[in-house]
Amino acid sequence: RRRGVFPLPQTAMTPKPAGPPDGGWGWAVAAAAFAVNGLSYGLLRSLGLALPDLAEHFDRSTQDTAWVSALALAVQQAASPVGSALSTRWGARPVVMVGGVLTSLGFVFSAFAGSLLHLYLGLGVLAGSGWALVFAPALGTLSRYFSRRRVLAVGLALTGNGASSLLLAPSLQFLLDTFGWRGALLLLGAVTLHLAPCGALLRPLALPGDPPAPPRGPFAALGLGLFARRAFSVFALGTALVGGGYFVPYVHLAPHALDRGLDGYGAALVVAVAAVGDAGARLISGWLADQGWVPLSRLLLVFAALTGLGLLAVGLVPLAGSQEGCWGALLAAAGAYGLSAGSYAPLVFGVLPGLVGVGGVVQATGLVMMLMSLGGLLGPPLSGFLRDETGDFTASFLACGSFILCGSVIYMGLPGALPSCRPAPGPAPPPPESRELLPVLPAALLSSGGPQSTRDTSC
Amino acid sequence: TASPFTSLPIREEMTTKYSNLSLESHNISVTEHSCVPVEKNITLERPSNIELICQFTASRDMNSVNVTWKKGDELLENYLINVTGSIVYAQYLFTIINSKQMGSYSCFFGEKKEQRGTFHFKVPKIHGKNKPLVNYVRDTTVLICKCQHCSPLNWTWYSSNGSVQVPIDVQMTDKYVINGTNANETRLKIMQLTEDNQGSYWCHAVFQLGESEERVELVVLSYLVPLKPFLGIVVEVVILVAIILLYETYTQKKKKHI
Repeated sequence: RRRGVFPLPQTAMTPKPAGPPDGGWGWAVAAAAFAVNGLSYGLLRSLGLALPDLAEHFDRSTQDTAWVSALALAVQQAASPVGSALSTRWGARPVVMVGGVLTSLGFVFSAFAGSLLHLYLGLGVLAGSGWALVFAPALGTLSRYFSRRRVLAVGLALTGNGASSLLLAPSLQFLLDTFGWRGALLLLGAVTLHLAPCGALLRPLALPGDPPAPPRGPFAALGLGLFARRAFSVFALGTALVGGGYFVPYVHLAPHALDRGLDGYGAALVVAVAAVGDAGARLISGWLADQGWVPLSRLLLVFAALTGLGLLAVGLVPLAGSQEGCWGALLAAAGAYGLSAGSYAPLVFGVLPGLVGVGGVVQATGLVMMLMSLGGLLGPPLSGFLRDETGDFTASFLACGSFILCGSVIYMGLPGALPSCRPAPGPAPPPPESRELLPVLPAALLSSGGPQSTRDTSC
Repeated sequence: TASPFTSLPIREEMTTKYSNLSLESHNISVTEHSCVPVEKNITLERPSNIELICQFTASRDMNSVNVTWKKGDELLENYLINVTGSIVYAQYLFTIINSKQMGSYSCFFGEKKEQRGTFHFKVPKIHGKNKPLVNYVRDTTVLICKCQHCSPLNWTWYSSNGSVQVPIDVQMTDKYVINGTNANETRLKIMQLTEDNQGSYWCHAVFQLGESEERVELVVLSYLVPLKPFLGIVVEVVILVAIILLYETYTQKKKKHI
């Protein structure tokens, strides 16, 4: 197994590219992806701190200013396939660097905003587009640099989100107090410019399985052809359903805790428990998945189902029990949700190489982000609507838990998700893609059906 | 609970002159073993009839207890005392019509300083913003003062130059606009900010029974203030990118020579 080998430039002496280095420069890429995640999703989440100052300055309601964040998130996710298409054509490095500059310009432009519309355009559209260009290419490139430790590396990168919130939230508050929202947005423009050096770290890597020529035409670049593969379509449908419920707790966990009678600090604790569980679980799940004890698609199914159940618990828990028991039970449910959602996150990206091959990972990442954004756009408003209709968030959390459970039922259709009862060398030899789904072992052992036989005995 | 004084005659002046005012009743309970004087804060906005009742519980002979009422240091008269079992009730009825009657009213049971109860009458507090308001040159800003459950008769704004408060004249320039959407809030809008407008602004709420004031701090910055750290960080980013790309070229050259 080749490890720690730097990718060599294509010369006449080395006609065939090496496999994923699984380390070496890959860790620099992991650090870059960690920073990209922090400077995109992490920053977006902390941006909420500036919204009250904006509402006060422009004399608009909280709902109007909330659209700034919502628009940025929607543009970032929906335009993700564009980012991955561009990076498939030109490589991840230039696309991410341009995306960083674009995001930075968006913030600088909004620092001089004369109305809320300028903020919708600057932060929502411009910065959102910049973010759309950075996330999928960075994570896709990371997946290409690792195979045996892929899910751990992805999990590591995804904790950038939580770490950034911890760091940026107090810093942003300090910036707002010292420089006002204009100065804070201007300086955030400088901070997000760090996406450019992150992009510079994304060295191009040639891998076996890459298509020989860059795709021609926009649709080919978008990777829509990936939907022709049954495994990816099943995954896409399941993920879109999960997306319907996944983002609701980001928006409504705190208001739900407040509704149940907790005070501000109690609600903040519930959110913190979920967030810490989420961040820690990303690393642990990444490490666990890479051990290869369980096929990745089965882990995906299990953690998606647990997330759904966790959300059902969050919605139902306070209906039984006394006031004191209510608080502890809500914390436990939030922690369970956090742990499962965190475990689920790196697996979403970890299964992709198994479904579409390393060549299609970047495009697949962009498409997955776009699909989750559909759910992200529908989920929170639906949850809010149910809350307004029924008076509390019980129905909302039941609905989003059910969405996720439906998604996990669909995941059962993924190869490797359910234990199969086929005899040892069933599909022989396994195609290169599904080799990624099985525990990764040296090629020699694989042909003798080693891992497959252990699966069959559990039938 | 019914006042133990309902059977006693109420002062006639109160029923005729101020019968249109509401009656507010406040109780304090003092025990023989109080370690600290008992206090109660009362927020009052408009003229009212006031009934203050102090209730003293002790184990010794009640008839020897010497009850007095004071406003500040001034001894008050015309109060009523009722002894029921082991509890002494002291009642003081009066009317507050202007700011001179606001202040602290105390009931004393005996000579010990701890055996008393005090009622503090204050006008409602108004709230501004406890953090400075940061704005930039040529911005328009709004300073807001709010009163939670009260409606002042009048609001006025002052700007402060050190310790001197200068009233803001809205008629003079159109730089300042004062308006309020409800009676319980006031907004001072300042257009085309300059660095001279920086400083403390005071909003005064005028009630029939006194005045309440609050301070709002305004900071006006020029764009140069955040621009310097901004440019510093941009330079740092450019250097980082250069280092990363140069390092890569260097290592690739090294690989080629191997």
